[in-house]
Amino acid sequence: MSTVRKYLGLIVTIGVLLMLVAWPAITGKDITRETTFTILLSVALASSLNILLGYTGYVSFGHVVFFGLGGYVGFYLMSAQGMSLWISMLAGGVSAGVLAFLLGKAILRLRGGYFALATIGINEAMRAFINNFEPFGGPTGMTLNFSVYRDYGGAGQALWLSYYVLAALTFIVLIVSYLVRTSKFGLGLLAIREDEDAAEVMGVNAPNVKTWAYVLSAIIPGMLGVLFFFKNGSIEPAPAFRLHFSIEMIVMVMLGGQGTVLGPILGAYGYQSLRGFLLTSPIFKDIQLAVAGVLLLVIVLFVPAGVVGWLRQRVPVLRRALQ
Amino acid sequence: MKRTTLFLIFGYLLFALIFVACSSSGGDEEAATDTGSSDTAAESADSGGGNQTIVIGFTASQTGSQNVSSTRQVNGLNLWMSELNAAGGIALSDGTKVTFEAVTYDDESNTDRVQELYTRLATEDNADFLISPYSSGLTAASAVIAEQYGKVMITTGAASDETYKQGLTTIYQAYTPASRYLTGAIDLMATLDADITKVAFVYENDKFSTDVVDAALAYAEEKGYEVVLHEGYNSDTTDFGPFINKIQDAGPDAILGGGHFQDGSTFARQLSEKNIDVDFFALLVAPPEPDFADLGDAALGVIGPSQWEPLAAFTPDSAAAAGLEWFGPLGEEFVSAYEAAYDGEEPSYHSAGGYAAGLILQQAIIAADSTDPEAVGAALDAMDLLTFFGHIKFDTTAEAHGLQIGHSMVYIQWQEGADGLAKQVVWPAEGATAETLFPLP
Repeated sequence: MSTVRKYLGLIVTIGVLLMLVAWPAITGKDITRETTFTILLSVALASSLNILLGYTGYVSFGHVVFFGLGGYVGFYLMSAQGMSLWISMLAGGVSAGVLAFLLGKAILRLRGGYFALATIGINEAMRAFINNFEPFGGPTGMTLNFSVYRDYGGAGQALWLSYYVLAALTFIVLIVSYLVRTSKFGLGLLAIREDEDAAEVMGVNAPNVKTWAYVLSAIIPGMLGVLFFFKNGSIEPAPAFRLHFSIEMIVMVMLGGQGTVLGPILGAYGYQSLRGFLLTSPIFKDIQLAVAGVLLLVIVLFVPAGVVGWLRQRVPVLRRALQ
Repeated sequence: MKRTTLFLIFGYLLFALIFVACSSSGGDEEAATDTGSSDTAAESADSGGGNQTIVIGFTASQTGSQNVSSTRQVNGLNLWMSELNAAGGIALSDGTKVTFEAVTYDDESNTDRVQELYTRLATEDNADFLISPYSSGLTAASAVIAEQYGKVMITTGAASDETYKQGLTTIYQAYTPASRYLTGAIDLMATLDADITKVAFVYENDKFSTDVVDAALAYAEEKGYEVVLHEGYNSDTTDFGPFINKIQDAGPDAILGGGHFQDGSTFARQLSEKNIDVDFFALLVAPPEPDFADLGDAALGVIGPSQWEPLAAFTPDSAAAAGLEWFGPLGEEFVSAYEAAYDGEEPSYHSAGGYAAGLILQQAIIAADSTDPEAVGAALDAMDLLTFFGHIKFDTTAEAHGLQIGHSMVYIQWQEGADGLAKQVVWPAEGATAETLFPLP
């Protein structure tokens, strides 16, 4: 019983995610799979960003750079070198992690707005670099031959496979996120978030801890990039390094509750299902962006701590269950 | 109390938004757009009595960077659909009357949700045929879905060649592919003056323009031209000074390139301000737009490729002369119907492309005498016809199935007319409305 109490936060989080993942498998409908794919992709990206944004308090506006770079490296290996999706995903994750490590050493010395500005700059610089990098197709990008999907049982099977791989990656992100939050390493991050100088005085090796948090938050987005563009069939610089996508990730984390494990899941689910509903609703489809904007405004005005933060404040009984 | 007031304000705002939404969808129905919702689509599969309603699914960029071109494309398609439905649809030999209905969603001009929306169109809305979104990037993503569900998709507004070389079998391109966008300009240049030898390529560094210029550059070299400058610029470039200096140093006889409207027109204006002396100047996309004339003297003599022009004279006679079957309305009939339906707005080639995509599908259903996707696909493979949009014929080899091989660009040039600047078609020779103004003044 005490074990259940101890891990209640993780159990609730995994339970929520399981329900989400199982939905398309139960209905077996392709459209449910596609809708859930969009939501799960956001859940995984928002949860990855949460390790840096929520736990460490560093706002990375250009986090999509890892999604784009990983996607490009993996896509190149698949389309030009004929490698499998698995190796490509691994390479995408590693390249994003290495980039984060090198960047972390350099720009994590910056704080607040300066760090946020630097991350935007890095995303733009990477897009400009890829735009002029001929092996990756330059501005034309790369396209995947349709026959590649046959190795995975045809396009239909490949789309289901992408879905299950995405589900597995999302579980991994959440477990990592939970482990970080409940570990000594995570305590160090939370201390940095509250007061970096005080944390250093207390013995937290801030530069190292921050760099590893950055690396952890970059690896999965790199792998997700490969998976997304594999499913998409083509890659170009503009959609791969879309700044707008980074901002959406931040909104999702804030919506659900930054610094919590469950928050990014609820935030991403809420945001993407709202957008999906508005886009396809006969009444709202012409003004869906305006409606989404007003609803976000309402939420940010009235629930600034996010859904999970609000519930934790108001209903103390739930504090153990909602982490 | 304060909180209650705030809630009330937001309540009113939401109510107002819902009201606006309802009234704006009402407005859509008044125009010639028949964009049915998914609810009506589900009921429409077969209403019996020898009548069949075919659902055509596509996404439109109602928001985002591609909004203007995409809207024109959708307007063209909707005009085709409303005209055909008003005329009673297509009559098949078994007596069935086939009419059409559209289901559409906003793709926001980005690839995030395109696959989700096309899956919805194919599986939930039971679309029988698909039309592509606007732009090559979105089309490439939607093509994977169309192919997976075996849905025939006519692409329009998607010029990139690459999509059609990936082993797809149900995708058919209405536009001239990017690789042949500027090659006609080089042919025209060759007929004008054999002394032109040095060519400069200055172009926007994006997927479409790079595809076009790579192919044109290879073609120019094959024709024996010396390429003295090959330079890409960023999409948001506003100062072309450094590029113009390089052009001056290289001393070309002809400049080819450009990208989209904004950069292309700025480039033309700055080139004219610096008085660069070249004989021949051709730009992508910008010159065919009516607003290009606002440049005044800087626009004079500039040549631009267009997928279609109202001036282009494709007629049943030219079809007979070329040994092709003619289908659909005349160019001027399309223009007047379009202007009547959309408050006098002049159709662009995007609009014509949207209408042509519908015509291609219509002719394929007539030729197949069936709405079965396989039969329609076979009819598309065999298609070889002339419409007001131009010649339509698809590649049927496994390497590039569906790639457009019949259609070719028309090239316009801005020349002095009776009331100021006017567009004239200068290439191909059989469609020309005026002699080329050469060399540039």
